[in-house]
Amino acid sequence: MLDALDKELLKTVADLEDIPKGAYNIRKNGKLLGRKISANINIETNDQGTGIIISVAPETKNESVHIPVILSEAGLHDVVFNSFIIGENADVTIIAGCGIHCGGEQKEGHEGIHEFIVHANAKMTYIEKHYAFGKGKGKRTLNPTTKVFLKQNAHAEMILEQIGGVDAAERINEATLDDGASLLIKENVLTEKTQTAQSTSKIILNGLDCSANLVARSVIKGDSKQDFIASIEANNKCYGHIECDAIILDNGTSDTIPSLKARHPDAELTHEASIGKIADDQLMKLMSLGLTYDEAVNRIIQGFLKNL
Amino acid sequence: MLQIKDLTFRVNNTDPGASGQKTIIDQFNYTFEQGKFYGITGPNGSGKTTLAKLIMGINPLTSGNLIFDGKEMADMSITDRAKLGIAYSFQNPARFKGITFRQLLSIAAETEEEDVLQKIVARVGICSFDFLEKPVDSKLSGGEIKKIELATTIARNPKLAIYDEPDTGIDLWTIGPMIELLKKEQKAHHTTTIVVSHNKNFLEAADVILILKKGKFVYEGNLDGAMPMLTDLSTCTLPDLCEGENDVRCFR
Repeated sequence: MLDALDKELLKTVADLEDIPKGAYNIRKNGKLLGRKISANINIETNDQGTGIIISVAPETKNESVHIPVILSEAGLHDVVFNSFIIGENADVTIIAGCGIHCGGEQKEGHEGIHEFIVHANAKMTYIEKHYAFGKGKGKRTLNPTTKVFLKQNAHAEMILEQIGGVDAAERINEATLDDGASLLIKENVLTEKTQTAQSTSKIILNGLDCSANLVARSVIKGDSKQDFIASIEANNKCYGHIECDAIILDNGTSDTIPSLKARHPDAELTHEASIGKIADDQLMKLMSLGLTYDEAVNRIIQGFLKNL
Repeated sequence: MLQIKDLTFRVNNTDPGASGQKTIIDQFNYTFEQGKFYGITGPNGSGKTTLAKLIMGINPLTSGNLIFDGKEMADMSITDRAKLGIAYSFQNPARFKGITFRQLLSIAAETEEEDVLQKIVARVGICSFDFLEKPVDSKLSGGEIKKIELATTIARNPKLAIYDEPDTGIDLWTIGPMIELLKKEQKAHHTTTIVVSHNKNFLEAADVILILKKGKFVYEGNLDGAMPMLTDLSTCTLPDLCEGENDVRCFR
């Protein structure tokens, strides 16, 4: 059963008002809360009992699977290993995410290690939101890892968001692309107070004419710190781009290190990075349309993190 | 409707070897009348944009009074001036990551109602409603961003609309319709319109030409009367240093 806190967490991290209609696996405080499979999407616990295997049958179209995790048990540090196998020509959306409610002094944390194999010509959209709240002073930690293997002409779009309340996060994104595969990663992270977040991405472009685009947006409030380290290694004729922008408010700090490694003469790799305060001309424009200074700042951040 | 009294604006002098403050606008006085179309022109660096920004509150004035519809607004923020009914169209409009034209227009019009937004878009002469979904980012062309700037200014239904160099980035064929639009808005809504421009087409549309030089209006009147001075200004922006056309350093 879902209590009010569970519902709030699920709504925030997985846009769920209640138990979803399609396939799902909901994990609460390290245990299975509910699971449902569909004709085309199977979910089973792995042999070690440390996570789940989600298999999407070839040719599956326009189906989705929800796999949220919620934590509200003081002192719990939940680690889970999940595997996703997306069959050839499938088109599927996976909605993951972790919500922590911290009511006490003890720390709470979650480490989700997600490995994806997206087979030839399949298309996967993966949405992952991380959020923590509660009056407790215990440290809330979220350390997600995604490892993606894109087979021939497979496509993956990954939206990775940390939308507030997480004290410390260490994210690792790894991807390997075969011929014609394409990957779009949109990573949006907001930190405040004394929170820290580090994101390390490593994308390897092995295939002919494969492409990867990593677009990261950071908003760094209060005394928080965010580090962004991203590398693309190109081993074939291919295209890769890294775009990382950070807005610093108050006394936030950021280290941004994009790295491009061309190991093939026809590799085309680019990056653009910017760190700074909100541009004055943006604030002036919105204020000239009747917004107050604070409303203008919020509107700019909201749009920035939407990462259109 | 807008009375400017003894307006002074000084900035720190950052010229090489200089110190202290530099006066950009000095003891400026003028009254803009309701419903008129003003064309402000003058040489580069004469203070045109500075004056426009002082009215909107983008530049903070050093001293003086700005009385708008009987209300002193010298200490008011940009937001409060916008709420009083002043709108400003920037020469180089801001670009945003993650904000669409629709969202910006909704902020300006203070509504998300589709009908209202589409009417504004039609008023500005943007044919495609798909344009509303475009992000207002660096991918827009100079002409597109200017149209958006114009639309958000008009969406405010301002009592006083200030346009700073509205033709920047606009192709020659768009200037005519843009002037027609500003004139139509002036007539339909009795909008007091101030256009800062070097472009003769805008000046021809104005009821009153004001030539600004060294932070003061040196001419007020119609375009015919302004032409000798404008012709001179258009060929020489260094009249104070001029030693005659035979000077070997003359650029004419």
